[in-house]
Amino acid sequence: MKERAGILVTQWDGYLREGPGAVTTAVPIVEVESGEHVLEPPSKRMQIGPDHILYPILIGLALFPILMGASGHHLADDLPEDETHPFFPDHFWPYPVIMAMMLFTVGLLAALVQQNMQLGPSADPRTVVNPRPDWYFLWLFQFLKVGNEIITAYVIPAIIVIGLLLWPFIDQALGSRLARRLHWPWWPVPGRNVITGTAWVLFMTFLVAFTFWAIVPVTIFGIGGSTT
Amino acid sequence: MAILPHPRQIQMAVVDWLDQRFPFTQSVDEALYQRVPNFANAFYYCFGGMVFVLIVLQLVTGVLLAIYYVPDAAGNPAPAYTSVQTTIMKDVSLGWLIRGVHFWGANLLVVMIVVHMARVFWTGSYRAPRELNWMVGVVLLLVVLFFSLTGYLLPWDTKAYWATSVTLQVMRGAPVVGGLIASILQGSSTLGPQTLQRFFDIHVFILPALVLLFMYIHFRLIRRHGISEPL
Ligand code: HEM
Repeated sequence: MKERAGILVTQWDGYLREGPGAVTTAVPIVEVESGEHVLEPPSKRMQIGPDHILYPILIGLALFPILMGASGHHLADDLPEDETHPFFPDHFWPYPVIMAMMLFTVGLLAALVQQNMQLGPSADPRTVVNPRPDWYFLWLFQFLKVGNEIITAYVIPAIIVIGLLLWPFIDQALGSRLARRLHWPWWPVPGRNVITGTAWVLFMTFLVAFTFWAIVPVTIFGIGGSTT
Repeated sequence: MAILPHPRQIQMAVVDWLDQRFPFTQSVDEALYQRVPNFANAFYYCFGGMVFVLIVLQLVTGVLLAIYYVPDAAGNPAPAYTSVQTTIMKDVSLGWLIRGVHFWGANLLVVMIVVHMARVFWTGSYRAPRELNWMVGVVLLLVVLFFSLTGYLLPWDTKAYWATSVTLQVMRGAPVVGGLIASILQGSSTLGPQTLQRFFDIHVFILPALVLLFMYIHFRLIRRHGISEPL
């Protein structure tokens, strides 16, 4: 191997070049699109077809390009220069400031509001106390008390989680149909949509209302709040 | 006579060396100087960044707490309880502050993640091509909630013990998989030291790995899609 300024390696095409990517055997290369990416020739690639037994594994491997691959063309590349700014430092600088402010807030809370952090006595299966979850699970805790347990504890939470996961598709499928029925020219985003916007506000209200119900000692329809 | 090269020359040499082995400069350029649309300066686009900042704070304070925390629930008072109540809160200097930041940070994190999600929902940013990123987001939300659930038990006081006992009881009742999930989490026939060991393992090993992985995917996808336009 000849010596030059950089490192010399034998590359896939059998030539000596500078840079990484060394293999020792010569393999012909196939240029694709941009010329940046190099794939194995078709004869060496795995045959992929609808009956490919590796499909389940490939779905798992779909993570790979997301983790390591090029992220490709950027939206901002299409905008005029004066409508964009660089990520660093222009877009980045507020975050250290935000970080300092949040650290200060949390530090202040830690110093001044010790009460919430106080522990009870060490756990003992014999001393039963009234169990309270963290405040953000209180709505569910209270919700468990209304109605049939199978529905409030499992069916509805499952619907909420699956509904959230699939929401983009639900919105798309139901939205286009509803818009046609209502003679709307299109189906707006929730912030501009009385139906989905209101539904979201109602859902948030439900969470907040049940959280309050779990805290305050009120009884509605015979179901108690904080006392039980 | 200068014996050592100028620091600048050393820096150039190091960067050159790296560049020959990996497109180092190019990667850094792409990461740092990617252009961002000006409309992304609206204040409500910073909520996701705030969630990220809080998660970093949780990781840092969590690592510090783990130096003194003892995941052992045998006996009364249990070493786990004493390590929080006495060692961290009283003996170690500034231990109370680190625990306070971790505690309040966790609460703020839940608030901010919901605020971030509400913003994404409101501006319809979950729509194509961002559906996958929304789903990654929902996974992150579940991971964060599971962080809280497992972290709550770690101080091993009565409050945490009975809250967790109710949680496991509810889980156990779930059709089909409930019993299996609850017994995996509980680790023994009663809620005891085994349970604490498992919650600790989930809280400090499994969930941090998951949250980092999914945040990385979240950010890669944001880089790909760019930020969505405001309302
Ligand atoms: C660990 C939790 C999370 C972190 C660190 C995080 C971080 C971020 C960041 C930094 C952004 C850039 C824009 C912005 O800040 O608003 C973003 C955008 C986004 N996030 Fe999250 N996020 C998290 C959880 C979630 C959740 C729970 C959802 C929804 C269920 C979600 C859905 C999205 C979507 C769809 C975008 C793209 C929005 C757009 O292009 O306008 N994320 N996230």
